[in-house]
Amino acid sequence: MTSAVTIPRHGGTGERTAVAARARQVVKAYGAGETRVVALDHVDVDIARGQFTAIMGPSGSGKSTLMHCLAGLDTVTGGQIFLDETEITGLKDKKLTQLRRDRIGFIFQAFNLLPTLNAIENITLPMDIAGRKPDGAWLERVVETVGLAGRLKHRPNQLSGGQQQRVAVARALAARPEIIFGDEPTGNLDSRAGSEVLGFLRRSVDELGQTIVMVTHDPVAASYADRVLYLADGRIVDEMHQPTADQVLDRMKDFDARGRTS
Amino acid sequence: MTVLKTSLRNFFAHKGRMALSAVAVLLSVAFVCGTLVFTDTMNTTFDNLFQATSSDVTVSSKDSTDNGETTSRTGKPPVLPASVLGEVRKAEGVKSAEGTVFSTSVTVVDAKLDKLSPSSGAPTIVGGWNSNDARTMKITSGGAPKGPDQVMVDADTVDKHHLKLGDEISMITVVGTHRAHVSGIADFTVTNPGAAIFYLDTKTAQQTLVGQTGVYTNVNVTAAQGVTDDQLKKNVTAAVGHGYKVQTAKEVADANQKELQSFLDVMKYAMLGFAGIAFLVGIFLIVNTFSMLVAQRTREIGLMRAVGSSRRQVNQSVLIEALLLGVVGSVLGVGAGVGIAVGLMKLMGNMGMHLSTDDLTVAWTTPVIGLVLGVVVTVLAAYLPARRAGKISPMAALRDAGTPADVKAGVVRAVIGLLLTGAGGASLYVAATADAAKGGSAWLGLGVVLTLIGFVVIGPLLAGGMVRVLGAIMLRVFGPVGRMAERNALRNPRRTGATGAALMIGLALVACLSVVGSSMVASATDQLDKTVGTDFIIDSGRTGIITPQAVKAVKSVPELARVTEYRLVDVSLTTPDGRVPDNKVINAADPTFAQDLRTKTVSGSLADAYKPDSMSVSEGFAKDHGIKLGSAVTVNFKDGTTGKLTVRAITSDEVVIDKGAMYASIATVAKYVPAAKMPKDLMVFAMAKDGQQDAAYKALKSALHKYPDYTVRDQTDYKKALKDQIGQMLNMIYGLLALAIIVAVLGVVNTLALSVVERTREIGLMRAIGLSRRQLRRMIRLESVVIAVFGALLGLGLGIGWGAAAQKLLALQGLKVLEIPWPTITYVFIGSAFVGLFAALVPAFRAGRMNVLNAIATD
Repeated sequence: MTSAVTIPRHGGTGERTAVAARARQVVKAYGAGETRVVALDHVDVDIARGQFTAIMGPSGSGKSTLMHCLAGLDTVTGGQIFLDETEITGLKDKKLTQLRRDRIGFIFQAFNLLPTLNAIENITLPMDIAGRKPDGAWLERVVETVGLAGRLKHRPNQLSGGQQQRVAVARALAARPEIIFGDEPTGNLDSRAGSEVLGFLRRSVDELGQTIVMVTHDPVAASYADRVLYLADGRIVDEMHQPTADQVLDRMKDFDARGRTS
Repeated sequence: MTVLKTSLRNFFAHKGRMALSAVAVLLSVAFVCGTLVFTDTMNTTFDNLFQATSSDVTVSSKDSTDNGETTSRTGKPPVLPASVLGEVRKAEGVKSAEGTVFSTSVTVVDAKLDKLSPSSGAPTIVGGWNSNDARTMKITSGGAPKGPDQVMVDADTVDKHHLKLGDEISMITVVGTHRAHVSGIADFTVTNPGAAIFYLDTKTAQQTLVGQTGVYTNVNVTAAQGVTDDQLKKNVTAAVGHGYKVQTAKEVADANQKELQSFLDVMKYAMLGFAGIAFLVGIFLIVNTFSMLVAQRTREIGLMRAVGSSRRQVNQSVLIEALLLGVVGSVLGVGAGVGIAVGLMKLMGNMGMHLSTDDLTVAWTTPVIGLVLGVVVTVLAAYLPARRAGKISPMAALRDAGTPADVKAGVVRAVIGLLLTGAGGASLYVAATADAAKGGSAWLGLGVVLTLIGFVVIGPLLAGGMVRVLGAIMLRVFGPVGRMAERNALRNPRRTGATGAALMIGLALVACLSVVGSSMVASATDQLDKTVGTDFIIDSGRTGIITPQAVKAVKSVPELARVTEYRLVDVSLTTPDGRVPDNKVINAADPTFAQDLRTKTVSGSLADAYKPDSMSVSEGFAKDHGIKLGSAVTVNFKDGTTGKLTVRAITSDEVVIDKGAMYASIATVAKYVPAAKMPKDLMVFAMAKDGQQDAAYKALKSALHKYPDYTVRDQTDYKKALKDQIGQMLNMIYGLLALAIIVAVLGVVNTLALSVVERTREIGLMRAIGLSRRQLRRMIRLESVVIAVFGALLGLGLGIGWGAAAQKLLALQGLKVLEIPWPTITYVFIGSAFVGLFAALVPAFRAGRMNVLNAIATD
């Protein structure tokens, strides 16, 4: 009832692992009574494993909130969220922190790196925190993929914005998380640097089989995804598979127009 | 106007961030005001007491001191004949006059031989009950003493020692031991800060204290209606002649006040000195706070500049905030200061010194001094950060906010710091190798100040190196959390340096004083071992004399091989150079003293100084007055005649015990001083027969059991007493330094708390990618420990250097042995690590509770 779109319940093969994360009837509300604002209104969503999913929507549509809830950064008011078969709603802070550390990767819009650590230290930070040894071969491959081999000893302030975001991507990939969440990862970059980063994300899905969920309002960025979910007023209102930038843009315009007329 | 408005808004918006700075100002101001109020209150209390207890005019012996002190080296108070009373009564303008006797050279014990003296060091007074004292005392139970068997006791002493009417009390004087029973209890109507007073009837007092009737220590004169004290003094002086001391009430009170004043001044300036150190430490805290506030507000200030604020306005807005901080901190501090004063009075009460809050004196200057000091210091401290704020370019508004980039310590700073430290080190070296104490101490002072400033200046540079070393040693075991803590401590060396330097100051003083104190103990112990050739030292303690009966008791101990008496004799001298050094003292002893204290001589043999009409002088005195071996010195004995003594030994000045003393035998002195005026023993030394030390010690203790004021110590006891005494002094100083250290710890808390605020986004990011709360808290704690340990290392290193230089300088005065108290240093070092942990408690807790989403939210 909340979602007009059909959500693939399970993968075609019937394997459980086809879904990396799912949300069931998720409600997120702020405040109470008169001032109650509903950011997510009974959202159902499945994130397919090994796919690149983009979440789009106008400002205030709840797309960032949805991502934060899926990633275990924020708590929900109602409903359930599963990461693979683990229900993360209701987990205590300690378990949630562990879960983020061991199973989830993050790329933020800005301020992704610790200024006191150099590139490689930033990349291995989640594993260091966990007290795990990074998988050397994998790390090399990740570094190779994002093209940072020559700059590993540089501090963030010695790197360009694009390089900084690539370090962030490498960090997210290095720990081989089940799922990577990106919050406008290219929002602060110029178009060339942005497309570079998006290219890496795309390749990590294709070549490394990574699952990625990205929040964006940039149609070009969304066009790198396998699937785009559209959010408006806290509900999923549409979705699109294998989108092109033009298609996405058209759909967005469509929403805007509808928003204005309604 | 807008400047003021923004300042006000900023001040209130960031009041949390200023709270610790305000506390630092508050503490320092409170300590200053507390000291002032406390000393003023002491003054008022004693002034009231002295004013109230003195009669209009007092006549006493010429030998008595101006403040009416009634002790003397003979153990008997200086007296005047009873005939004086009759002469006074005949004087014009005298309403009444009364003679009375007082002495403080008395040991008063109860039936169980427990001392009834105050523990605070206030005097124990025994005297005749008289109408002058009756003005300020009220008999609360029983009655005034009548006849030899009765004594009246003050109420405080009665309470403290649980006495009751009819209890037996013994008064031990040079005359003998007098027993009496408590007949009455009297309470002061003014605040009595703690003296114990025992009243006998006048005749009994005369016999007990002086051993004869017909003498008084003073005659209290009351003026007739309309006669001023000054007029009365003139009349009385005319009546009795100039052979006596005649003082008005005001003169006695002033003399008392003067003596007290010098003591109070020492205390006041010492405490203000420590308050000053706390202020100095507080400056670091304030500088750090404003530097961080300015850094955090860079963008905002850039915007203000972009829309047209002048540098001056930005500068002023920061200074106005500092002004507000100073005012708030100081006002609260003045209030807290009164609280501190009341607390100190309570503390004194526990130690036996009663002060009443009725006398609480807050001079108008006290709050003014507190406010001015607090505000001026705060504004001065904020000056540099304010200037830095003014220099922020309008472009800053456009740059990405983020975290302020690492600040690199400059080359200029390094050069200046090294120059200062080098100059300071050189000064300390000059001090250490000086051959005259006078010039040396100036170099020492200069060296201390220069090295301190030098260390503060290069602190940020040292922070870089030392934190890395500390990190390598301490933090590696903590893995990535340790590494991040290390990097965080390093990211702004100026901040870490200033925070550490604040702690450094207090700890440097602790280390320096502990080195000097230990060296004092070690040197004295060393000299005791080398020069003291006696087994037991009997000290007269509070009364200053050992009664002949007690000496007899000592001499009758069969296990003793020899007993040496030792006393001080007041003299003035005429030296070969014709000068007349007044107020000198000859240490008169039995000839065996040459064996008891083998003071090194530079020429002559000390044993010869005890031959008839011989003496010794010290090296320095000999040099100053052109005295050589064999020189004749004319000695004018204050209580006797004049003799010519030959100098037969010149003692070394490199001693701790009896430094500068002039020795002669008691027999020599006895030739010139009549027996009645002969001083009593100040100390007695005893040597046991071979192999009977233990038995002799027991026998001595039991022989002197009746005299609880005297202490019997063997060398071990003596060393321990010496050590305890110095230890007590050091503890007191450490206690006062604690204030500065507390402020420094607040500084660590402040730096961490502000850093946490500044690093909100970083913390959010780390939490998002999986840093647990526990790890986050540990990271902050480790950073704190590193800063604290850094400060401690600097401080301890600096302090040990100061202490060693001071010891080398004081070696000229007998402080031969350098002893660095490693256990103390180690405790302080370990303690500082715990202080670091403690300082991080709240900031770590708050960082742990930070909301991850708020922290990472992009604006």
